[in-house]
Amino acid sequence: MNLLNKVKDGMIAVLGMLMPSCREALRLQSDALERPLPPARRPGLWLHLLLCKWCRNYGKQIRFLRHAAHEHPDELTQATPQRLSPEARERIRQKIRASQE
Amino acid sequence: MPADGDLKPSQAPPEAPGKPGLSDPEQWVELHGDYLFKYALMRLRDPAKAEDAVQETFLAALKGGKTFAGRSAEKSWLVGVLKNKIYDHYRKAGRETSFTDLEFYRDEESDRFVPDGLLKDGWIHELGPSEWSSPGASLDSEVFWKTFRDCSDKLPKNVAAVFNLREVDGIESKEVCALLQISESNLWVMLHRARMALRRCLDNNWFGKQA
Repeated sequence: MNLLNKVKDGMIAVLGMLMPSCREALRLQSDALERPLPPARRPGLWLHLLLCKWCRNYGKQIRFLRHAAHEHPDELTQATPQRLSPEARERIRQKIRASQE
Repeated sequence: MPADGDLKPSQAPPEAPGKPGLSDPEQWVELHGDYLFKYALMRLRDPAKAEDAVQETFLAALKGGKTFAGRSAEKSWLVGVLKNKIYDHYRKAGRETSFTDLEFYRDEESDRFVPDGLLKDGWIHELGPSEWSSPGASLDSEVFWKTFRDCSDKLPKNVAAVFNLREVDGIESKEVCALLQISESNLWVMLHRARMALRRCLDNNWFGKQA
């Protein structure tokens, strides 16, 4: 019984060393979009994601953000009601006219 | 005076550059002004600077005096000129100030993690990210993009700049670092913060609100 507990504690400790926390798993998943992760970090992250649906969702969602922004730059950029003000329009028009003369 | 619809065709001399496809520069403001302004505004975050950038773009384009086989080619050319103006601005900002935004190093999701104990830094139960239902369908929604744009405006300026360069414009990490004069590890932290904040903002204001 006592031995069993020790084995259990030992396994938790090993897993803990191997496996990143959720906080670390977010950072690693973000970094993985920029560069190959150090080989030492990969099995731990893999195991973490196997067990943790929340961090899996997080990873999917930041990859979706990348896809959305990169595939639809115009939709994102133009999605604002702000426009060139009438004063700026007039000023720019005048500058264009002046520089053509 | 209305901002639009005052093209005054009578006074637009068709002689201008004379080549087919290139529109009369006097019409550029109407044809491309708002598009370029919004482009600059998202990246510079300052209406006055965005207006100046649009003006400089048109004037530089006039000097360039190129010709194009159509309006859309003309637009992409103008965007290219504007992009360079914006990058110049970033380069200058990178030289003059430290581009790394330390104030934002606070972890956006801190309040959702277990603060101590055996489960330290794990999601607090029920506060972890739940699945987004058919996110792909959102890409067709104008309101989704409006929400995304609003969320991006809430990011600290420098963090937003990094996100826009890397994710919207798709520039490689190394080039972003060179442009802003930051280290790669700083870039990674800032991207991580940007993604974290945007994800949470969209979760709160869009995906969490659907059905």
